[in-house]
Amino acid sequence: MPEAPRARLSIRAKVVLVSAVLAAIPFVGYGYVREMENFLRTAQEQRVIATARAVATALHDRPRLLEFRADDDGARRRPGARAATQEIELILTGLRRASSRIFVIDQQRRLLAIAGSLRQELPAVPEPGGAWNWVQTNLLRPLWAQLLERPPEDFDDAIPEDLLSGGREVDAALSGVPASRWRPTPDGRAVVLGAAHPIWSGTEVIGAVVVEETTNSVLTLRNRVFEQLLTVTLVVFVLGAGTLLVFASRLSRRLRRLRDEAEQAIDARGRVRRAFRESGDGDEIGDLSRSFATAVDRLAEYNEYLERMADRLSHELRTPIAVVSSSLDNLRTRALPPDAGVYIARAEDGVRRLNAILTSMSEATRLEQTLRATERERFDLGRVVSGCVAGYTAAFPQHRFELRLPERRVELEGAPDLIAQLVDKLAENAMDFTAPGEPIEVAVDADATTARLSVSNIGALLPEAMADRLFESMVSVRSPAAKAQASGRAKSEPHLGLGLFIVRLIAEFHRGAVRARNRDDGRGVIVEVSFPLTATPI
Amino acid sequence: MSRRIALVEDDAAIRENVADTLRRQGYEVASYPDRPHALAALTSRLPDLAIVDIGLGADVDGGFTLVRELRAMSDQLPIIFLTARDSDFDLVAGLRLGADDYLTKNISMPHLLARIAALFRRIDVMRSPPKIEETMDRGPLRLDLKRMTASWRDQAVDLTLTEFWMVHALAKYPGHVKSRDSLMSDANLVIDDATITSHIKRIRKKFLAVDAAFDAIDTVYGMGYRWLAG
Repeated sequence: MPEAPRARLSIRAKVVLVSAVLAAIPFVGYGYVREMENFLRTAQEQRVIATARAVATALHDRPRLLEFRADDDGARRRPGARAATQEIELILTGLRRASSRIFVIDQQRRLLAIAGSLRQELPAVPEPGGAWNWVQTNLLRPLWAQLLERPPEDFDDAIPEDLLSGGREVDAALSGVPASRWRPTPDGRAVVLGAAHPIWSGTEVIGAVVVEETTNSVLTLRNRVFEQLLTVTLVVFVLGAGTLLVFASRLSRRLRRLRDEAEQAIDARGRVRRAFRESGDGDEIGDLSRSFATAVDRLAEYNEYLERMADRLSHELRTPIAVVSSSLDNLRTRALPPDAGVYIARAEDGVRRLNAILTSMSEATRLEQTLRATERERFDLGRVVSGCVAGYTAAFPQHRFELRLPERRVELEGAPDLIAQLVDKLAENAMDFTAPGEPIEVAVDADATTARLSVSNIGALLPEAMADRLFESMVSVRSPAAKAQASGRAKSEPHLGLGLFIVRLIAEFHRGAVRARNRDDGRGVIVEVSFPLTATPI
Repeated sequence: MSRRIALVEDDAAIRENVADTLRRQGYEVASYPDRPHALAALTSRLPDLAIVDIGLGADVDGGFTLVRELRAMSDQLPIIFLTARDSDFDLVAGLRLGADDYLTKNISMPHLLARIAALFRRIDVMRSPPKIEETMDRGPLRLDLKRMTASWRDQAVDLTLTEFWMVHALAKYPGHVKSRDSLMSDANLVIDDATITSHIKRIRKKFLAVDAAFDAIDTVYGMGYRWLAG
């Protein structure tokens, strides 16, 4: 038998493992989303820079708007300053976007005007109804929220002092170079993209426009794409794995059924127990099942052929033997030379032996026929066995039989004649291998559920590997030499190995089992037949 | 007047051997290889005894068919099956068709002759009421050794020759165990133990049919059978 593999994975587990390949989808998707995010960021940056440039262009060469403010720190309080600021704010408002903040500063880094807010009011999208949306809203969104960082809307949107005093883009813009920069909010909860553009008056930089936007819109977009990606992946994974699981379960169920069917079709001794139920499926497993069925059928035919061969052979040989023996009978009646008699006697002896062989060859088949028609009765196993042993003691004085019987009756249901035949065969077998004078022990004992009959003799041992095959038709494992030496009987009955086969047939008829093994003391062989007791003995 | 025996056997060698043996004993033998020939010849004139093989060439159950046809013509004609088939099934089927005996081909010629002679003797005695009764009485059992018939509590038990001989062998010495081997030789049979067992079973059934309390044949396991005087 092949050694069982150490790690055993069922087909189902393997297929489910294979479905883990689907888990690669989100990673591939993640890469694409990152690309998209970069692209969006670049676009956002371009747009913010463009806005800054547009605002700056609107303010170019209008130094008064800024100069006016530049005179005095408190200028905003004055009506003129207010008007100028209002004009700037008007321009800013015109260019303002939903989520951007635009402010203008002068060379002294004073804030002249500001418009817009970094915060973005998300419009409340009414959730459509339906089971799928319910799942999305109540199961998936919270799950994704665990995985993805939602851009916060309550970040600190104050303009940090260091931006005006030392922000890199502001410095650059005030020195005449447009610049942009990502910076975190002061509380670090969001990232702000700022682009600054110088405001020119002639060749002189008189101020700068700073346009700021959070990256929240990009993040929101990215998150939405991620959510969709994850949802799609999850759905595909669940559907894919589910389909594979169903498929694999079906596959392994069919294979298991095939295995069980194959195991049940043939018993431990290779005999076909029952016909193989072939499957009608059109795939490879169906093919496998059908070829199993064909193989089992052929095995059954072959077994039957083997089992019937002895019977057929004996039947076919009977006619030619009858020709020989009737010819010899006729020959005897003729006047023959005086020395012919001895040859006729030898020929007749040969024919007699052939007949004995044929009779024992067909015995098994005849027994099988008898078994089919036998009526069961209740009888005492001990009485049958003691009768048999008494018979052997009388018939075979050269052998010493020792009988052990239980005190009480051991009632079996079956055919006492057949049990007697079984004991005959066991005794014959034991006598064949026992030297004269050595004891042959015959014992019956019983407990509540099982009756046991054993015949044990001293003599040649069984090869270990053959113990189970003994009870098959035409198997004889102890060597004829050992047998002849032990029994010393010349011209003994032909030994075809059918005797123990008959024992098995009769034991099985009584729902019993038969086992042969070497004795514990290593001096001989014990054959044990055990019968289940149907009812408690009376 | 010599007796006329019809022999239906498909194997030429056996047919001729048996025919020779029978002729040597003074019987007149007509042999046929198959059913049509036999039927054609036997319809015009019935023999005194028909010995029929079951398998006749390609006609596997030709012997059964032939015996059924012969039985339809005469219910007195003695018929013996002589065949290679030794299964219980064939034996029962043959005897049910009304054959007087069922012999397997491994029977020796002297045994065959003994059976044929016994069969004729029985027929003769049946035809002419015997002057002297030769009987053997064992309690309720009465065996008529001339007619080879048996009765139990004055009711006839319809035994075949084989069965009669077996009962006779058992009842001769009540209480003595007869081994299967000695029963076989007493009944001029060469068969195996299982067939003896089924013969005994059939005999018991026949006695049980006339007396439900019959238990005179006792099985002594491992040794044989004995007749219980009672």
